[in-house]
Amino acid sequence: MELQQQISKKALKVWRITGTIECLITWVIAITVMILTIKFDWPYWIFLILGVLSLVQPYFWIYLFPILKWRCWRYDVRETEIEIQRGIFIMRRTLVPMARVQHVETSQGPFLRKYHLASVEISTAATVHIIPALDLQEADELRSFISKMASVVEEDV
Amino acid sequence: MSRPKRLHPVAIIFNMAKDVKELLFPFVIALIIPGKSIGLAGYIQWMIAGVVCIFFITLAVLKWIRFTYKVEHGELKIESGIFFRKNRYIRFERIHSIDVSEGIIQRLFGLVKVSIETAGGTQAEAVLSAIRKEEAVRLNEQLLEAKRNKTVVELEFREEQSPNKMTTLVYKQTFLELFLMSATSGAVGVILSGMAAFASQFDEMIPFERVFGSSKVMLELGIYVLIGLACIGIILVYIVAIIMMMLKYADFTVEKIGDELVISRGLFEKRQLTIPLKKVQGIRIVESIIRQPLGFATVYLEYAGGSLAEKESLKVMLFPLIKKKKLQENLERFIPNYLSDLSLNHLPSRAYSRYVFRKWLYYAPVIVACIYFLSPWGYTTLLLLPIGCGWAYLQYREVGWNITGSQLTIRSRFVSKQTLLVHKNKIQSIKSSTSWIQNRKQLTTISALVKSGVTFREGEIKDVDAKDFTRIHVWFLTKKSS
Repeated sequence: MELQQQISKKALKVWRITGTIECLITWVIAITVMILTIKFDWPYWIFLILGVLSLVQPYFWIYLFPILKWRCWRYDVRETEIEIQRGIFIMRRTLVPMARVQHVETSQGPFLRKYHLASVEISTAATVHIIPALDLQEADELRSFISKMASVVEEDV
Repeated sequence: MSRPKRLHPVAIIFNMAKDVKELLFPFVIALIIPGKSIGLAGYIQWMIAGVVCIFFITLAVLKWIRFTYKVEHGELKIESGIFFRKNRYIRFERIHSIDVSEGIIQRLFGLVKVSIETAGGTQAEAVLSAIRKEEAVRLNEQLLEAKRNKTVVELEFREEQSPNKMTTLVYKQTFLELFLMSATSGAVGVILSGMAAFASQFDEMIPFERVFGSSKVMLELGIYVLIGLACIGIILVYIVAIIMMMLKYADFTVEKIGDELVISRGLFEKRQLTIPLKKVQGIRIVESIIRQPLGFATVYLEYAGGSLAEKESLKVMLFPLIKKKKLQENLERFIPNYLSDLSLNHLPSRAYSRYVFRKWLYYAPVIVACIYFLSPWGYTTLLLLPIGCGWAYLQYREVGWNITGSQLTIRSRFVSKQTLLVHKNKIQSIKSSTSWIQNRKQLTTISALVKSGVTFREGEIKDVDAKDFTRIHVWFLTKKSS
């Protein structure tokens, strides 16, 4: 039972932006610590390790992980259930019956909006499941579909 | 009624109040700490304060502009957010209650605040902080109309059940059970460690000198006497702990009145909790390492309700201590349809090495560090390896799952053995997660999630056969097979 639906390929762009921002943040931290190591004569290997990590981080954060993440992300919304599959190293698969869905909402951060994307958040009584980065129209359709289906298969909590 | 509507502009004040409340503290500190700056520095300080104020006002206004709501197709649609746009849809059937309240400011303008609550969640799902009274009335009417059909059905259901209200079942804990429960509870450990912490804080204040005369006498008493004293101390603490637990759980009674369970306990401080049966999401049976060999278990109720403010209401004991043999019989009397004596599907033998591996993974850094820094004594930590094997075996042997009718049983073990019994129609979601090592061995970690208290309870088994997940998956999706 392979899942069919994939999230928008534009998600890659958004993840690259967020990846870059994360890299910049860790770089600031790393550089601060590196300056401190020089100033206070801490062991040189701290400097070395931080330097190497900061150099390879962008490759993983901006290039590799977004691609793998995108490839691993699958979902399927059927009339009676929602199935989500994700995870690069550990593959996680979640199954939520429609009858458990309490409400659905779409949300957009600034980056998602830039690329006309939206994520769909599906809440049950206990948990929230998120499908990130779908095309705006697709997200809206999905949202109303789930909302419609969830009210058809009505059951108590 | 399908045009999006805004709140009354007074809501801007509420938005502001909310933002300011969150940031008031840092703001005040920023103004006060630098003291009275004179000249340019002073101007800058006040300029920053002004900018912050303007920022808050703009933010509040923008929030108000961006916040719209409308009623459409039996849904309440709320759009909000300045940077993060949020479209929130709440179906009327899901709304449990609408709470209408008036604050002082609202009253000045003839407005009301409407909080909309749905099932679950710790706070109101949506708050319309300022709308006109007539508007609130209309909203309420629409809601009632949408819910009317459902409400009628529910009322009829109630009436049908009312004759049952008379029948009462009672479970009372015996004194022996109460004693055994208190004696085997972990509370002793908690109190002991608390005492130890206390003693280490105040050892200078406790008059050892006066008690023992002088340290010379203490030495003369010899080490055995000291050990003896320590033992007596521990036993005393143990007895105190037992008595405290006994007082807390004295008179433990479960009554079944109609379709509600009433659980009460306590001698001086009485506590009572009423739980409608239909709110019960599952049953959890815990066998601690001390109680398991004695054949006892503790039974908890997982139910959708309770509040964060009252911690006691989140962890509900149905039977504090019960003989495993009598469990099924008692369970049936109070909560029908739960089976506790099912034989489980255990793990495939290739899973055992994974359990050992996981234990060793945690021990390895400890062992390496101990050998490196505490040589030669550090080598004793190598004993952790066989201990890990043994512990892993205990876990591997006990965990398992079972499907019978619409009930799923999941047993896991960390130290205590935990068995979660849930019915298909109460499971919120099921999950599997597979690492690449697991994938190679055709194993997977499965879990099922039910609502419990204000969050959830998750039953998880590591390293079951990958085919088992498919079986649970299929079972979960098949409708009503009981």
